[in-house]
Amino acid sequence: MRLRVRAFYRALRATIKGIRPLPPRIADFGAAAEKNNHAKRRKGVALSDFIYGAVIVFLFMPLVVLLVYSFNASKSGSWSGFSLQWYEKLFMGSGELWHAFANSLLIALTSATAATILGTLAAVGTARYSFWFKPYVKSMSFLPMIMPEIIVGVSLLVFFAGIGLKLGLVTVWMAHTTFNLPFVYLLVSARLEAFDPSVVEAARDLGATEGQTLMRVILPITMPGIASGFLTAVTLSLEDFVITFFVSGPGAMTLPLFIYSAIRFGVSPVINALSVVMVAGTVLLVYPARNFLKAYAAH
Amino acid sequence: MKRLLHTATRVAALALALGMSLGFASCSKQESGPKKLYIFNWTYYTPDSVIAKFEKEYNCKVVYDSFDSNESMFAKLKAGGSNYDIVFPSADYVSIMVKQGMLAKIDKSKLSNWKNIDPAVLARSKDYDPDNQYSVPYYMGAAGVAVNKTKVKKYDRDWSIFSRKDLKDKMTMLDDMREVMGDALAFQGKSVNTAKDDEVAAAEKLINEGWKPNLLKFDAEAYAKLFASGETWVAQGYAESIFAEYDQAKRGDVDFFIPKEGGPLYIDSMVILKDSKSKDLALKFIDFIHRPQNYAEFCDAFGFPCTANIPARALKKGDAWYKAEDLTKCELKLDLGQDLEKYNAAWQDIKVGK
Amino acid sequence: MKRNYGRAYAAPEALWLTFFFAAPLAIIVAYSFCKRDLYGGVLPQLSLDAYRSLANPTLIAVAWRTLWVSLAATVITILIALPCGYSIARSGNQAMRLFLIIVPFWTNFIIRVYAWIAILGNEGFVNDVLRAIGLTTDSVQFLYNQGAVILVLVYMYLPYAILPLFSTIDKFDFNLLEAARDLGATRMQALRKILIPNIRGGLVTAVLFTFIPIFGAYAVPLLVGGKDSYMLGNVIADQVTKTRNWPLASSISMGVTVLTGIAAILYAVVSKRSTHHVIEESGIGPVSATAGIPSGGQA
Repeated sequence: MRLRVRAFYRALRATIKGIRPLPPRIADFGAAAEKNNHAKRRKGVALSDFIYGAVIVFLFMPLVVLLVYSFNASKSGSWSGFSLQWYEKLFMGSGELWHAFANSLLIALTSATAATILGTLAAVGTARYSFWFKPYVKSMSFLPMIMPEIIVGVSLLVFFAGIGLKLGLVTVWMAHTTFNLPFVYLLVSARLEAFDPSVVEAARDLGATEGQTLMRVILPITMPGIASGFLTAVTLSLEDFVITFFVSGPGAMTLPLFIYSAIRFGVSPVINALSVVMVAGTVLLVYPARNFLKAYAAH
Repeated sequence: MKRLLHTATRVAALALALGMSLGFASCSKQESGPKKLYIFNWTYYTPDSVIAKFEKEYNCKVVYDSFDSNESMFAKLKAGGSNYDIVFPSADYVSIMVKQGMLAKIDKSKLSNWKNIDPAVLARSKDYDPDNQYSVPYYMGAAGVAVNKTKVKKYDRDWSIFSRKDLKDKMTMLDDMREVMGDALAFQGKSVNTAKDDEVAAAEKLINEGWKPNLLKFDAEAYAKLFASGETWVAQGYAESIFAEYDQAKRGDVDFFIPKEGGPLYIDSMVILKDSKSKDLALKFIDFIHRPQNYAEFCDAFGFPCTANIPARALKKGDAWYKAEDLTKCELKLDLGQDLEKYNAAWQDIKVGK
Repeated sequence: MKRNYGRAYAAPEALWLTFFFAAPLAIIVAYSFCKRDLYGGVLPQLSLDAYRSLANPTLIAVAWRTLWVSLAATVITILIALPCGYSIARSGNQAMRLFLIIVPFWTNFIIRVYAWIAILGNEGFVNDVLRAIGLTTDSVQFLYNQGAVILVLVYMYLPYAILPLFSTIDKFDFNLLEAARDLGATRMQALRKILIPNIRGGLVTAVLFTFIPIFGAYAVPLLVGGKDSYMLGNVIADQVTKTRNWPLASSISMGVTVLTGIAAILYAVVSKRSTHHVIEESGIGPVSATAGIPSGGQA
C-alpha cells in the first residue's frame, strides 16, 4: 500500500512540475520530435499577439469595473467617492452570504470528487474494454451537455419528489454530480486516447494485478485528464444557478442563488466586493500552480 | 483484483459516508438544536430585524428561503419534497393552493393580533379565500410608475405616459404578464381579470402598438438599477425595489405614483402548509408579524404604507412611497383558471414580435 | 489472460446516470406527450398538443432568431479565438497566457454581465468617454438589442473556444508551414491550407463547445437583450416558470436537444471525413473530447 501511494504521489508531483510521467514508449519519439517543431521559440510579435492582448483587455474590463465600483461610496452607477464600506459590510454583516459561499464550496468539492471517481472509472473501462452496455455509457455521457439546464433542473425536481426524497444539500449534491459526470468522462477519455496499451501489457507481463495496473500505471498517466476533470467540475458546480434553484431545499442556499436574489435589491456593491475578494483569492491560490494549468489545457 | 475491490470499496464508502453525513445534516435538523421554522417568502420581504426579534422571543431558528415569482414557488411546492411551514403566496395562488388542498386551516382564535388587520383588506378575501380560512393578509400593494422628475418635466400621472414617443427607449415595464396586461386593461376601463376575447385583444393591441415601441425592454430583474442609474427615466415596477436601489439623498427626484385609472392589485398572504410540522410556531409567527410595532418596522424597511395593519400606521416612522388610499381604484388579481391561456397567447405575441 | 473488467469499471457511472439522468430524461419525454395540468405539471393523459404547438409561427420565428444569433456569436468567437490560440501556442510563457484567459472565469457569471451593463449603458463608461471627447451629445444605445446579446455571449464563451484551439495548435507540427512556404505559398495561404485543416479536431470542439451552450442561452438575452432578443432558452424558461406549460417546455427542449445533437453529429462526421493522418497520430480523439473545457452553465 505504501509503495503504491508513493508512486502515485511521485507521479502527481511530476505532473505538477510539468514533466510527463510516461514510461518510454514509441509514441514518445513522436513527442520528442514534436517539441522541436513547436513554434514556441519564434521571436517577434505577430498580429495574433495583438489580438490576444486585445482579448485580455476585453476579458478583464468587467473585472476592472467591478474593482472600481466596489470602492464606490454610493450604490448607483455614478462615482461619488472612495469608500471601504462595502468591504466592511462584506466581512462584518453578511452572514448569509458566507453561509451560502460555504455551501457552494462544500457542494463543489464533494460533487466534483464523486463525479471524478465515477467518471474516471467509467472512462478507463470504456477505453480498454468492450462490454454490452458500452454504447449506452458513451452516449449517456454526452447527453447532459446538450440538454438545456432548465429542463434538467425541472426533471430532477420532479424525479426527487417522485421518489420521496426531501430537497436539500443532498439533492443539490446529486444533481451537481450528475451534470459534472460528462465532463470528467470526456476529459479523461481524451487523455486515454493517447494511451499506449503496450504499457499495460508490459505491466501484466511483470505480474501486476488489475488493481496495481490501475493505480500504478493507468491513473498516473491519466492524471492531467483527471485533474482537469476535477477542476472543471468544481468550476461548473460553483457557477451553477438554474439546476441548483430547482433542486435545493430549505437551508441549502448556494452562492449563485444568493447573488441572483440579492442583486435585485441594492446589495450588489457588496457582491462586487465579494467578486474582487474571490478573484484576488483565486489568483493568489492558483498563480503558483500555473504550470499545472498548462498541463490542464494542453493534454 | 481483490486489492482493487478493496480500494474501490474504501473510496465508495468514503463518498457514501460523506453523502450520508450531508444528508443527515440537512434532514435531521428537527431532532437537534432549537426548534426550526421554515419560511418560504419573496426575496427580502421580511426584514432581518423582525425575524431576529422573533427568534429571540420564541427561542427558535428561522430558516428563510426565497423565491422571485409565484410560479416558481408553486412549481417547487407542487412537486413536493420541500418541508416549509409558512409560505407567502399572492392572492391568486392562495386560491389555487386551497383548491389543490395544500394548505392547513388557520385557527384565528389563536391570533391575538387578528383585530389589528384592516377590515377593508379582509373584505377582499371573499374573492380568493372566503372568510380567510387559510390565509392571513401580509401586505396589500400594487406596482406603480416611478418617474425621474429631473429628466421628465411634464407628464400625466397615468398609464398614458407609456404612449409618449418623446420618451422612447427611456422607459421600462415589468416582464410580468398579469401586471402589464392588467395595466392596459385598467387604462381601457376593463377588469384586470376579464376573460372576454375582445377585451384581451384590445389590451394586447394597446401594448403592442402603443406602449412597446417606446419601451427599452420588459424587465423584472434590473429595472430598479436602470432607473437608479439614469438609464431609464420612467419605470413601471414595485416601490420597494426602486426604494432599495435609489440613493437616499436623491429620493426627492423621484415621483412614484399609482395611476389614477388603477391597475392590478396584489395581496400577499401568509399561509401554513398542510404538511408543516410546526403549525403552532407558525401561528405564533403570523401573530408576531401583526403586532403593530413589528408591522410598522416591516413597512418602514421597504417604504410601504401600512395597508394591512391599522394600529401600525401610528407607529410608522418613515415615509411611504404611496398611500393606502391610492389603492382603492386598483383591482385584485385573481386566478383566471383556463382563461389564463388567452393571456398567455397574447403575452407570447407581445414578447416575441419586434 | 485479460479478464474483462469493463463492466465493473463502468457500472457505477452507468448506474448513476441511469438513475439520475436517464430516468428524469424519460420523464421529460413522457411529459412532452402528456396533457398539461392547469397549475403546472401534467395530467396522465396522452396528448400531442405540445408538439402541435411547436408549429406556432411565433415559436418558429424565435427559433430562427436564436439560430441566427447563435451562429453569429459562434463565428465571431471562433474568428477571435483562432489567433489567440495561435498566439498562446507560440509564446514562450504559455502557462501565464492561459492563466490570464482563465482568471475571469472565477467571477460569478451574473456579476460579469452586470459589469457589462455598467460599461455599455447609457450612463456607463463608454458613453461617458464618447460624450467627454465630443463624439456624441446623446448617449449611444449599446445595450438591450441583439448586438449586445452577441457581444456578451462572445465574451462569455471566448475562453471555451480558445482553450481547445490552443490545445490543438500546440500539437501542430509547424515544420509543415515552413515546408509549404518553401514550396512557394504565402504566409496566409500556408495558414489557410495547412494549419486550418490540421487543427480540424480542435476547431470542431471549439465550435461545439461554443454553439451548443449559446443556442440554449437565456440569462444573457434576459439581462442585456431588448424587445428583439427573446430566444429559445427564454421560451423554455418562461414556459416552466411563468406559463406553467410543462409539456410545451418539454417538447421545445426535445426539439432543441435533437437539433443540437444533429448539428453536433453532422459537424463531427463532416470534419472526420477530411481529417488528416496527422490528427490520428497526435492523439486528438473523438470530436467532443479534444480538450478539457467546461461547456459551462447555460448563459
